[in-house]
Amino acid sequence: MDSSKLVSFFEEDLCIFHLRSRKKKSAISEMVRHLARHGRISDEQFIIEMLKNRESLGSTGLGKGVAFPHGRSLAIRKLTVLFARSSSGVEFNALDRKPTKILFLILAPSDKGAETYLALLSELISLIQKPTKLKKLYRVKDFKSLREILGGNEK
Amino acid sequence: MKEEHRLLIALQDLDIMIKEAKDQYTSKELKSLGFKLNGLEELQNARKKLIKKIPPDILQRYERLAKHYTMAILPVTGDLCLGCFGKLPTSFFSATSRDKLQTCENCGRLLYIP
Repeated sequence: MDSSKLVSFFEEDLCIFHLRSRKKKSAISEMVRHLARHGRISDEQFIIEMLKNRESLGSTGLGKGVAFPHGRSLAIRKLTVLFARSSSGVEFNALDRKPTKILFLILAPSDKGAETYLALLSELISLIQKPTKLKKLYRVKDFKSLREILGGNEK
Repeated sequence: MKEEHRLLIALQDLDIMIKEAKDQYTSKELKSLGFKLNGLEELQNARKKLIKKIPPDILQRYERLAKHYTMAILPVTGDLCLGCFGKLPTSFFSATSRDKLQTCENCGRLLYIP
C-alpha cells in the first residue's frame, strides 16, 4: 500500500487530537460517540459491544503507546478509520502495560473480505515501527501534520 | 433496527470474530502483526450469553444457515439478495414485510431491510 493510499483512509472529521478518557472502556465509548456524531455509525452501543468483544479476545494495545481497536460488522457499510491522540495516555491493558497515547480505531464491513482491513492494520503497524514517525505521532495536534506523518518518507 | 435483527447481526459478527481467531490464515496474519488472540473462551462465553436473548425458532434458522454460509443474515441493497445475488420479489418490500426478518427464496439466507 503506498502512502497516498494510506492517507486516503483518514478524514479530518474523524480525528480526536485531545482524547479525554483515561480508561479503555471510556476511550472506546468516546471514539465511537465521535463516529456517531459525524454520522458514520447509527448504533453506538452495538459497535461498543463488538469492540468490547474484540478486546476480550486479546488487547489491541500493542505497546509503544499505540493501540489498534478494530472489528468487522454488518452494521458498518464502509471501512472507517478514526485517529485519536491522548496526551496523558489511556490505560489500555497494552502488552507492555504502558499507557496508550495513539489509537487507530478501524471498523470494517463484515460482508466484504478481511484483506483490506488487514492490509491497513499491517501498514499502520509498520508505520509505528519507525521511531521518527512514532515520536511525531505522540505530538501531532492537527490533521495537516497527521497527513504529513502518514504520507512522509522518514525512517 | 429491530431488536431481533440487531441480536442476529451481533451473533454473526461474533461468529466471524471466532472464526477469524480460529482460521489459520487470518489468525496467523494477526499474530504476525503482534496481536495476542488468547481470549477465545471469553468470546465463546459472550456467544452463550447472546444466544439466550434470541428467540429459539430464529436462532435455529440462523444456526442451520450458518453451517453453510459465513453470512447467514444480510441487509438488502436494491432489490437483490447480497448472498446469492438473486432478485427479490416486489412483495418483499411491501409495508407489512419491511420490518420482518425475511428469507431469500433462492438461497434461504435471512434478510432485513436496513
